[in-house]
Amino acid sequence: MLKLLLPPACREEVLGDLHERYSGRLAYLADACSAVPCVIWSRIRRTTDPQVLLMEALALYLSFVGAARLFGQTPFLYTPWGLLRLAIPAAVALLALILIDAYADPAKRSPVRPMIHVAAAIGFAFLSQASFQAADPQLAVPLRIMFYGGGMGLVLLSALHAFFAPGDHRPRGAT
Amino acid sequence: MAKLPSIGQFEQLVLTAVMSLRENAYGVTIHQKAQELARPKSISIGAVYVTLDRLEDKGLIASWLSEPTAERGGRAKRCYRVEALGERALQESATTAKRVFDELVKVLGKDWARNWGKQPG
Repeated sequence: MLKLLLPPACREEVLGDLHERYSGRLAYLADACSAVPCVIWSRIRRTTDPQVLLMEALALYLSFVGAARLFGQTPFLYTPWGLLRLAIPAAVALLALILIDAYADPAKRSPVRPMIHVAAAIGFAFLSQASFQAADPQLAVPLRIMFYGGGMGLVLLSALHAFFAPGDHRPRGAT
Repeated sequence: MAKLPSIGQFEQLVLTAVMSLRENAYGVTIHQKAQELARPKSISIGAVYVTLDRLEDKGLIASWLSEPTAERGGRAKRCYRVEALGERALQESATTAKRVFDELVKVLGKDWARNWGKQPG
């Protein structure tokens, strides 16, 4: 389970260190509880650029607002909390994107990786909307806005993600 | 010459640990050494990992993966070494600490300085 929680970039050394320090189940658990959140946070910090994140947030939110205006859903924008409800799928997608980037394996590089990450993140936004539809439809965004906004967001965010690739600042081997 | 990045107290601790361990500097040993230097305070291994990443991002240390070993369940260790910039940053911190100490001696007196080294820890 620990192997799944740890980002691939630091999995090997952290698991090895915990194994070497093993002196009992409780001590191992305490070490793991201390190490895992810290390495996840450190990995997020290394792969997330706040300025790029802000650009992506704006691009995604404006995609949803633009979809509402362009595809006959303008009245939704004037419903109570309409603009705020549009921010929910954008926020969920961004959070998912941050985690997907943190958990990406730096050894596996591919030119389509940015698009795959963004598509997965927008997929999470759709899932969250499906759960809102089931639990509290007042929080959900109309499917038409999600579909077209998600599509525009996919294009914009893929471009941003490709131009400003999340950096793993770790040098590839000490000189 | 590269501008020296500022380093906090805990970063100085971890950097000193890496420097003193030389070829044997990796997660477990760095944590043990840093714990020794920080006594009586206890430090978590998670904090050491975060600090090592931050120091590497600042260009003060470099890392590489070693060969896997049986004692680590067949997993490699990430070894660290201090870069020239890191050595300079640590020397600068030591110089600042010495200046602070000398000033405290002037203010608090030589008796304080004499007793300072005898405090438990």
